[in-house]
Amino acid sequence: MKMKLSVLTASLLAASLFTHSSYVSAKIPFWGAESGQEMPSLAPMLEKVTPAVVNINVAGNREVRQRMPDAFQQFFGQGELRREQPFRGLGSGVIIDAKKGYVVTNAHVINQANEIRVTLTDGRTFEAKKIGEDPESDVALLQINADNLAEIKIADSDTLRVGDFTIAIGNPFGLGQTVTSGIVSALGRGGLDIEKIEDFIQTDAAINSGNSGGALVNLRGELIGINTAIIGPAGGNVGIGFAIPSTMMKNLVSQIIEFGEVKRGILGVEGNDLNEEIAKAMKVKSTKGVFVGRVTPESGADKAGLRSGDVIVSLNGKTIQSMSELRAKVGSMGVGKSVKIGVLREDKQLNFDVKLSQADQSNVTAGTMHEMLAGANFANGKTQDGTAGVMLTEVAERSPAAQLGLQQGDVIIGVGRTKVNNVAELRDILSKAKGVIALQVQRENSVYYVLIR
Amino acid sequence: MLCFCEYACSEKNKLMKSLIFVVRSIAYGLALALLWLLLFQQNGVTQLNQWLQPKNQEQTAISYAKAVRAAAPAVVNVYTVTTQQDPRSYQRRIIQNQSLGSGVIMRADGYILTNYHVVNGADQIVVALQDGRQLEAVLIGQDRLTDLAVLYVKADNLPVIPQLPDIEPQVGDLVLAIGNPLNLGQSITQGIISATGRAGLSTNTYTDFMQMDAAINAGNSGGALVNSNGILVGINTAAFQRQRNLEVQGIFFAVPYKLAFTVMEKLVSHGRVVRGYLGLSGEPVINSSGERQYSTAQKFYGMKITEVENLGPAAVSGLLIDDIMVEIQGVMLTSVNQALDIVAESVPDTEVQIVIERRGQRMILPTRIGTRLDTE
Repeated sequence: MKMKLSVLTASLLAASLFTHSSYVSAKIPFWGAESGQEMPSLAPMLEKVTPAVVNINVAGNREVRQRMPDAFQQFFGQGELRREQPFRGLGSGVIIDAKKGYVVTNAHVINQANEIRVTLTDGRTFEAKKIGEDPESDVALLQINADNLAEIKIADSDTLRVGDFTIAIGNPFGLGQTVTSGIVSALGRGGLDIEKIEDFIQTDAAINSGNSGGALVNLRGELIGINTAIIGPAGGNVGIGFAIPSTMMKNLVSQIIEFGEVKRGILGVEGNDLNEEIAKAMKVKSTKGVFVGRVTPESGADKAGLRSGDVIVSLNGKTIQSMSELRAKVGSMGVGKSVKIGVLREDKQLNFDVKLSQADQSNVTAGTMHEMLAGANFANGKTQDGTAGVMLTEVAERSPAAQLGLQQGDVIIGVGRTKVNNVAELRDILSKAKGVIALQVQRENSVYYVLIR
Repeated sequence: MLCFCEYACSEKNKLMKSLIFVVRSIAYGLALALLWLLLFQQNGVTQLNQWLQPKNQEQTAISYAKAVRAAAPAVVNVYTVTTQQDPRSYQRRIIQNQSLGSGVIMRADGYILTNYHVVNGADQIVVALQDGRQLEAVLIGQDRLTDLAVLYVKADNLPVIPQLPDIEPQVGDLVLAIGNPLNLGQSITQGIISATGRAGLSTNTYTDFMQMDAAINAGNSGGALVNSNGILVGINTAAFQRQRNLEVQGIFFAVPYKLAFTVMEKLVSHGRVVRGYLGLSGEPVINSSGERQYSTAQKFYGMKITEVENLGPAAVSGLLIDDIMVEIQGVMLTSVNQALDIVAESVPDTEVQIVIERRGQRMILPTRIGTRLDTE
C-alpha cells in the first residue's frame, strides 16, 4: 500500500515536471513573462556587445569634377574643372580582435579617407591604420593601437534561418550608438547592383546612413553580419536593409590580414540562375541552382571535370540558389582553397572537388606592410637551395623598395634573427617591429641585410 | 535444504525491506520537492527553466523560423501585365504595363487571395511559387470595397497557408508580413498588431482594416500577415498615405482574416460580393431626443438618420430624416458600424423589419433591402 502510494507520488511528480517543462517552450519572445519574474530584455546581452561596436569618423580629400560653366566656356574651353575638395564622413565598425585591435568596417565608409578616427563607447578616440580593403565586397579592415578593447564573437552565418531575430548596432546619422531590432527577412540576396559581390542577409531592423560597417548580431550577441546598405526610395529606412554575412566577412578579413588584400579565387564557370524555362529546355528536374553555360579551360572547374550543361546545386554541402550567391561565396574564400561542388548532371547527383584558381595574377603589394617597401610585390617563394621565404616578384623603378636596393628575384628569408617562411609571417613580424628593421635577403647565392627605418 | 531455504527467505525479506525503504525515501523526497515547487511556484519555475533550458536554448535559439517555414511557401509572387492603348498617341500604339504584388494560397484546390488593386484590369496574371513554378492564373472575382481578389491556378501539391477559422487577433499580437517587396524576392518583416480593425462586410476604407507596423512596401500587397505560429491573420494591403512627399513608416493596413475569408467564399461561389443596401446615412445618438454621441464611453442609443437617398429602399419604405433607428430584424443596434454590417450582410430583395423612433413614438417599418452598386 505504502509502496503504491510512493509510486503514485513519484508519477505525480513526474507528471508535474512535464507540465512545468511546457513553460520552457513558451511563446516567443516573452519566454519568461508568464512567471512574472523578469521582463524579457536585450539589455544584458547588449551591455556585453556594444563596447565592441565603434563609431568611425573620416576626413580626406576627394576629387570633384565639375563641368565648365557656360559663361567661361569661350575662355577656357569645354574642359572639366577638377579640384580637390575636403570631405568628412562617418560610419560604424566592429572590433573582431581585441588583442591586435582589428576593426572591420565597410570599404565605402573609409573610401578616399586619409584620416580615420575610431571612437569607442567608453569615449576613447584612436587614430586607425588601414590594413586593407576589398571594394568589390565592401569590406575593409582597420587597426587601432589600444588596450582593454572588447571584441565581438563571430557566429556562423551559414546556420541562419529566415525568421531569426537580428539586432543592428551602429551610429545612424552620427547620433551616437543606436540599437535597433528586427528579423532575418531573407538570405542570399543578390542582384541588387549595390556591390560587385553580393550575398546579403536582408533584415527589417532599421539601418540608416551611418550604420554602415556596424554590427548585426543574433540574440546571443554574436556577429552575424556587417550592415552595409539599404533600399529606401526617400533615403531612409523602409524595412529593407542588407548586411554582409559574418562568415563571408571572416573569410575576406583573414585574407586581408594575411595578404593586405583579398586574393579572389574563382571556379572558372559562367552561368545563369536556373529557372523553369532553362530547366524545361534542358530537362533538369530541379528549378533552383546555377546552370553552367561555359567552363573556362584550364580553370579549377575544368580540371575537376565540370562541364557546360551541369547544374550546380550545392557548395560545401550548402544549397546554392543563384549565380550571385555562388559568386559571392566562392569570391570570399581565397585562392587555392578546395571546395566541394554538388552538381546535377543528367539527373545524377555528382560531387566535385574544385581547387579555386586565381582571378588575376596580382601579388601582395608590399607597401601595405611597410611604407618603405612600397613599389614591391611579394609572393611566397623559395631560394635556389630550397629555403622557404618571401620572394619579390616585382620591384617598381625608383620606388622606395628599389631605393633600398631590393631587386626582383630576391628572397626575404628572415627579419633580424627571426626566420620568415611566408608572407603572413613577414606581415606579422613587420607589424610588431619598432625602430630599425633588418631584412635578411638572399640573392642567388649570397645573403645580405637591408636596413629599413 | 530447509535451513538453506530459510536463510534465503530472510535474505529476500531483508532485500525487499531495504528496497521499500529506498523507494519510499525517494518518493517522499520527490513529494517534498513537488510541494516546494507548488508553494514557491514562481521561483521554482524559473529555476526549473534554467535547469532544463541551457541545452535546449543552445540548439533552438529563439526565432520565427518555424512560423516562416509553415507559412512562407504558401505566399506567392503575382505578376500582372496590363495592355492599353497609349492615350497620348494619335496612332494606335499599345503600351504594356507590368506590375507586381503577392498572393496567398488559401485552398489546396488552387484558390489564391490577393489584392484587387494588384490584379485590377490586368490582361495576364502569372503566379510564381516559391519552389520555382510559374503558373498562369485566372481571375475568379474581385471586390473593390475590401480590396480583395481571388485567383485560381491549376496545379498539384500546392502549399496552403495555415488557418484557424475562429482566430481572434488582438492588439499587441506579434505578426510577420510575408511578400515580395520591390520584387527583391520573398521577404519577411516583423511587427505587432496596432489595431484589430473591423471584420464586417460594410468595411470599405482601409482605415477600417487591421493596422500593424510590420514594414510593407510596393509588392507586398496581397501577401500574408501571419502570427508567430505562422497562422494567417490578414492580407497585407496598404501603407498609410495622406500627403505626398510625406513618408510615414510604421502605419500599415491589412484586411482581417475573417473578412478576407468571407469575401473569398462569396467570390468563389458567386463571382462577386453582393451587399445589401438601404440608401441612408446616419450618426450615433445617445438618447431619444437625438443628442449626438461623441465618444464610445457614452452609451449608444440609436442611429439618427441624417440623409435619405431619393427613391432608395429607405425612402420607399417611408424612413425620414431625424428618425432614430434602434433595431433591425430583431437585433438591437449597438453601434453605427454594426447597423451598416447588418444591412450589408442582408440578402437583397428580402424584407427586414426596421424599428425606429419618430418624435418619441416607436414604429416598425417593413423595408425591402436593395443591392449596393459598386461605384468607383
